[in-house]
Amino acid sequence: MVVLAATVLAGVTLAVVLLTGWATGGNSGVTDVAGSTSAVLYPAGHRPLAPDFTATTLTGSRLRFSSYRGQVVVLNFWGSWCGPCREEAPTLAVAARQYRSAGVAFLGVDVRDTTASALAFARDFGITYPSVSDSGSEITLDFTTVVPIAGTPTTLVIDRTGHITGAVFGTATYQELTDLLAKVTGKAAG
Amino acid sequence: MTDVRAPEADPFESAAEQDDREDRSRDRAAGTLGFADWLKWGWRQLTSMRIALVLLFLLALGSVPGSMLPQEGTDAAGVQQYYTSHPALAPLLNHLGLFNVFAAPWFAAIYLLLFTSLVGCVVPRTFRLAGSARALPPRAPRHLTRLPRSAEYTTVLAPALAAEVAATVLAGHGFRLRRPADASGGAWVSAEKGYLREVGNLLFHLALLGVLVSVALGGLFGYKADRLLVQGTTFADTQSALDEFYPGRLVTAADLGPFTITLNRFDASYITSGAQRGQPASFDAQISYAAYPGGPVRTDQLEVNRPLSVDGAKVYLIGHGYAPVFKVTDARGQVVYDQATPFISGSSGNFLSQGVVKVLDAQPEQLGFTGVFVPTAVEAGGVLESVFPAADNPVVSLIAYAGNLGLNSGVTQSVYQMDTAGMRRLTADPQLLLPGQSLKLPGGQGTITFTGYVPWVSLAITHDPGQLPALICGIAALGGLLLSFMVRRRRVFVRARASGPGTTVQIGGLARTDASGGFEAEFASLAAELRSAHHQAAASRQHEGE
Repeated sequence: MVVLAATVLAGVTLAVVLLTGWATGGNSGVTDVAGSTSAVLYPAGHRPLAPDFTATTLTGSRLRFSSYRGQVVVLNFWGSWCGPCREEAPTLAVAARQYRSAGVAFLGVDVRDTTASALAFARDFGITYPSVSDSGSEITLDFTTVVPIAGTPTTLVIDRTGHITGAVFGTATYQELTDLLAKVTGKAAG
Repeated sequence: MTDVRAPEADPFESAAEQDDREDRSRDRAAGTLGFADWLKWGWRQLTSMRIALVLLFLLALGSVPGSMLPQEGTDAAGVQQYYTSHPALAPLLNHLGLFNVFAAPWFAAIYLLLFTSLVGCVVPRTFRLAGSARALPPRAPRHLTRLPRSAEYTTVLAPALAAEVAATVLAGHGFRLRRPADASGGAWVSAEKGYLREVGNLLFHLALLGVLVSVALGGLFGYKADRLLVQGTTFADTQSALDEFYPGRLVTAADLGPFTITLNRFDASYITSGAQRGQPASFDAQISYAAYPGGPVRTDQLEVNRPLSVDGAKVYLIGHGYAPVFKVTDARGQVVYDQATPFISGSSGNFLSQGVVKVLDAQPEQLGFTGVFVPTAVEAGGVLESVFPAADNPVVSLIAYAGNLGLNSGVTQSVYQMDTAGMRRLTADPQLLLPGQSLKLPGGQGTITFTGYVPWVSLAITHDPGQLPALICGIAALGGLLLSFMVRRRRVFVRARASGPGTTVQIGGLARTDASGGFEAEFASLAAELRSAHHQAAASRQHEGE
């Protein structure tokens, strides 16, 4: 009876821990950035390789992601319909201009969107870097196998070898973005 | 079930009754004892029926705020709005976990206690039932004539031999036997049959545990999701592409099956005449899908109750509707919106559907339209009605707004609702458009064109690893229950006593249930058989003696 009770209680305690997530929260292997809870820097050796993809840009040309090898890339998953994406768009527009001279390329992945709305968004926020259309979320799906993308916006910083160095899950602030880029390029904003 | 009690007083006491009696006697002693006894006492309380019911009630009570307040998992925008409208109350409610009730520690505590209570009740009972199914029948009572069924006759056989003959007969009928350990207690046989009843009971309890485990399995490793898919579009089974996502506790976004589904075509047909006019005749969604990125593309047909099985998940067709296609040009002549916009039909029937068009990047200011899509429009007394669910005479009715849609500050909004607080109305009356018609907005703000419509379907994606085990356990539980209801435990006792020159044989029998009509006949036939066996044995003895 006592043994049985102890066994059941032990099982239930384990279940409580699992179910309420008390055991999680230790972000081992990940460093927070700029006191942020949504930005992470993956330590060397734990940087997943970004999947390659070929897709059509909003302006209709074909783009192969592996052609960006050798450059630091900021890959931003967004949608014109997404409120937080609209909030961070001015930040990205500014950062893209500032880091151009440092050889950092910005690329958008336009998720669940239409070309007309996406182009209007880019015009509206003065975004000059290209975006590929991901209306069926297939590119997002590929990336979800290596980083936990739960929605838009998500911003990945990818190093010259194509490895994902850091990520911002949710609205990226200027501070978070420049912190991550400084760690990859070794330079502050140009 | 013990042997020390006289069977007359304890014909068939169930394991459960005995358990409760022991609990009560132990409860009385608990007050004066130490820590270990307090633990035992607490454990017995927890596993009692009363506490289980209290916990069940608490579980129901705890779910109430989950349906009254907006929940983060299902209505994040609603939570944000609640924060705005109740700035003082919202943080307090959030602290209590009331915006995410089903993930709150206190809610988990209730259902885990309930689970513990059930497991703690069922497991010991299972052991007792297993013991009961293996137990030997009790000793034969002294006075068998007091039992509900009895018979008595004399034979010339010696008591020990008479008992031996009776044992052979009863064993031949599949009874489990018990014989005296030594000769001091007299010559008797106890026989019992109907252990399948206990087996059924055991099966029921084990299956019940199985159901609990299966439900837990589903809750931990399963997920549910919804997605609205417009004809001609594709979605991937990844969290950001799902409209609603309810993951199990141990499910992360990476655990979703990486399939993609394209809705190639959707057809609905309706009954066109008679009393059933307007009722759906058939729904048919032609899809193509790939089980993983780059995998082979297959085609399939989704119908109601005919889901697609892909990558361990099931995709059900649960609804459909119309998505009118709008093209909007802004004041500068730029096309700023060109897409099918899903409208949602209310309860009014005939697919009178409502929706909003948010043109977020129109210049110089944002445009918004609230609209109604009427598939078969008829104007009756100045009111537009839909008289048939198919799109036989589609019309949209639009009210135009300009201003600030409130989305640029980073707030998440439902795509089916528009906050007109920062908007000004451009058209006084709703404007009706037929397919191909345009509405020029006043003040040169732009143009909206109703270019056509396409159907959409809503898909429910479920993955429940506990479903099949739960079904199997459910069937097993039912089988066990039937077995325990239909099989009767019954006992037959035979006592042989020397009386004068011969031996008196007493036979007694009892069955567990009151509805012992069947047992009456069974007992009579057994008694007759025993009697004739004793006669035959006596005759052959005499024959040998001669």
